Amino acid sequence: MTLVKPMNGEATLLDAGESWVEALDDPGPQGHAARQHLHELLLRATRHQVCRLRDQLPGAGIQDLEDLSQQAADDAMVAVLGKLGTFEGRSRFSTWVFKFGLLHAGVAVRRQAWRHREVGLPDTLVLVTGTATPASEAEGHDLARALSSAIARDLTPHQRHVTLALLVDDVPIDVLADRLGTTRNALYKTLHDARQRLRASLTERGFLDQLPRRSTR
Amino acid sequence: MTAAADLTPEAVRALLADTEPYLSCDECFARIDEYVERRVSDRDFRDDRLETHLAGCGVCAEEAAALEELLRG
Repeated sequence: MTLVKPMNGEATLLDAGESWVEALDDPGPQGHAARQHLHELLLRATRHQVCRLRDQLPGAGIQDLEDLSQQAADDAMVAVLGKLGTFEGRSRFSTWVFKFGLLHAGVAVRRQAWRHREVGLPDTLVLVTGTATPASEAEGHDLARALSSAIARDLTPHQRHVTLALLVDDVPIDVLADRLGTTRNALYKTLHDARQRLRASLTERGFLDQLPRRSTR
Repeated sequence: MTAAADLTPEAVRALLADTEPYLSCDECFARIDEYVERRVSDRDFRDDRLETHLAGCGVCAEEAAALEELLRG
């Protein structure tokens, strides 16, 4: 393991994956120091993410947020140590580590935010009056009605439940996966297939030109 | 159970987003560190498959944004 002294004076490991993996495997003091430094990196990521998402936890105090960050860093540490063998050096080791911290912190915040909220599985979409401008209202209503009809007619019950929960009720995908005893991957695949069916249905019914290609969620 | 909704343009975009070519959340997670690092050093760097996933998966997109913010300091 190589130590370098960066500009801010804080000792850190040289950001090379091989050195890290070797050091973390060491059962002696070098390994202890490497694991401590790894935890510091993870804590930096989890604190960052908890801070970004703190609006989802309006009742949480500073200590609650710190506890959540620490717990997420501990969980991420276990994950990183278990996945060390998969690090391929395609990014800096610290960047690779950060993503685990961000993942675990995000999951922890959303789980906490939704812990007392019921997650339903809607099977019907009822359109309510929106605030569209008169000029766009008729066109928007036509598309909304066609979409609502496609959701009812062209999706399987499972696709309908998942799609409406994720995109209309805004249940986070990891929260829904947790409640349904499935995985984020499986739900995303269901959503992907449902979107393909909806696009095909609306294309067939002449709405192709109005279809957007991208979304933000 | 019924979901009552005003289908705003944003909701319509989310429901009808074209997420082809398919990329799973696990594959996205496996590649996101390299992608964000390259984006930080080169704003013009593109990965269409990954960006298609990020446009269709809010949680993955949020994690990518957080990582980019963290790397930019």
